[in-house]
Amino acid sequence: MKKVVFILISLLILSSGFKLGSIDTNSKMKAIFIMNFTKMIEWPKSYREGNFVVGVIGDSPLYTELTKMAKTKKVSNQSLQIKKFNTIKDIGKCHILYVSRNKSQEISSVLKKVKSNSTLIITEKQGLVDKGAGINFIIKNNRQKFELNKKNVEKYKLKVSSNLEALAFTVK
Amino acid sequence: MSKKIYILFIVSILTSSVFGQFVGKDNLSISLFYMQKTELDSAKKYIDLAIIDDNLKSTPKTWYYRGFIYKELYKKKEKENKVSPLRLISIESFKTMLTLEGKDEFTESAFKILKYEASTLYNDAARMLDPKNYRTAVSNYQHYRRTMLLINPNIDLKSRDVKFKLALASMLNRPAETSTGLDSAQAYLIKTLYIEILSIEANNSSANYNLAILYYNQGADIINNMDYDMDITKLNEVQDRCVELFLKGLPYMKKSYELTPNKMEILIGLKNIYYGLNDLEKSEMFKLKLEHMEAKKRYPVLKNKIKSLKDKGMKDSEEYVKYKTELQNLLNKFKDLEKE
Repeated sequence: MKKVVFILISLLILSSGFKLGSIDTNSKMKAIFIMNFTKMIEWPKSYREGNFVVGVIGDSPLYTELTKMAKTKKVSNQSLQIKKFNTIKDIGKCHILYVSRNKSQEISSVLKKVKSNSTLIITEKQGLVDKGAGINFIIKNNRQKFELNKKNVEKYKLKVSSNLEALAFTVK
Repeated sequence: MSKKIYILFIVSILTSSVFGQFVGKDNLSISLFYMQKTELDSAKKYIDLAIIDDNLKSTPKTWYYRGFIYKELYKKKEKENKVSPLRLISIESFKTMLTLEGKDEFTESAFKILKYEASTLYNDAARMLDPKNYRTAVSNYQHYRRTMLLINPNIDLKSRDVKFKLALASMLNRPAETSTGLDSAQAYLIKTLYIEILSIEANNSSANYNLAILYYNQGADIINNMDYDMDITKLNEVQDRCVELFLKGLPYMKKSYELTPNKMEILIGLKNIYYGLNDLEKSEMFKLKLEHMEAKKRYPVLKNKIKSLKDKGMKDSEEYVKYKTELQNLLNKFKDLEKE
């Protein structure tokens, strides 16, 4: 019987589990939301040629996910380009700028930097939609949702579709 | 001509001496005669006649020897056959024997044989635990159980059941660790097994952990396969489904943590489930615990490396500085390391 016990024990040890350690569930959801935003927001004509640039400022796992998305997806006929900015000084022209949590306190400087551009500012911290962000990701009942501040979006000459308003958790 | 007559004479003497001794003997006695001569096929033929003989079929001796002969035949002919019918007929014969009056004379010996047969069934069950043959493994394990219960109806097989089901579930779960993944039928089967294990042993850490992982992986798989073009309405539906799965897995992972708090896999599990549930605060808390655990393992290794380099007079080496910096970083983050 000893041999058998050995067989069974070795099977138990082999039982590991997490094959999905590499999947960032939260970032994947956000990336899909962002893809939807590109379809429900209209940028000025001058922004409809060349690459569609999504910038990420600060450290966020979303950057990796967006880079993955850019390999297979386009925004209309524009190729997606994902840029990472380490400092506010580095921020260049982009269609969407995602402000990661660790840069949230610098939102006013970010706004100053992009004020002359048509950039959709997306954040992920409670209250930022009242401080200039166009869209802010929030968590409600364990689910990823978003708040929309139409005024803050339109300020940058962007048009918001009524569908997006309907899908937002709150509209300001 | 005379030579032919002589041969016929010899043959007739020989045949009459063999069959002559069976005159008036019953099938059981004939079977035993052949059994003693280890002519097992003949012994089987007569014992099978004995069990339908009205005078013999209610005798425990008949059934005992049938069990014995079939066991011997199993050993001789079907030892490598994992679904040996001879072995099962042997067990069935002993089972019948145990229902008959006057069985006591044979019980001890029958139990010995049954124990042997049970062990071969258990071994064969374990050896068949692979994706192709696991159904045979399950069937052999069931036969093993029934045989053990024949020997002792009050035997506690719970821990054996748990071990077997865990091994079976782990084996079936192997595709989950590859890119193939599990289909829904496989996932359902494995979940059922873990739920069965937990109904026997609620505090089985491995089953709790693995069940939680199954739920988590199912949800994470859905997210992983989502297309970036999915519309928000559909996305919200998918989120509902995934949150439901993560919430189903959470209590099992928490239980597993309660039972074995120092297992890194469980901390990773809780970190990931809370992350999936967008509870970033709790996810971060378990991430920190995980880092602390890793630091506790790394700390003595670094100390030894530093000491060894110091002993060799290599305090100015690049390596020494590297380890010193790493150690300091660990101590800055986890101040309790030095005390421990």
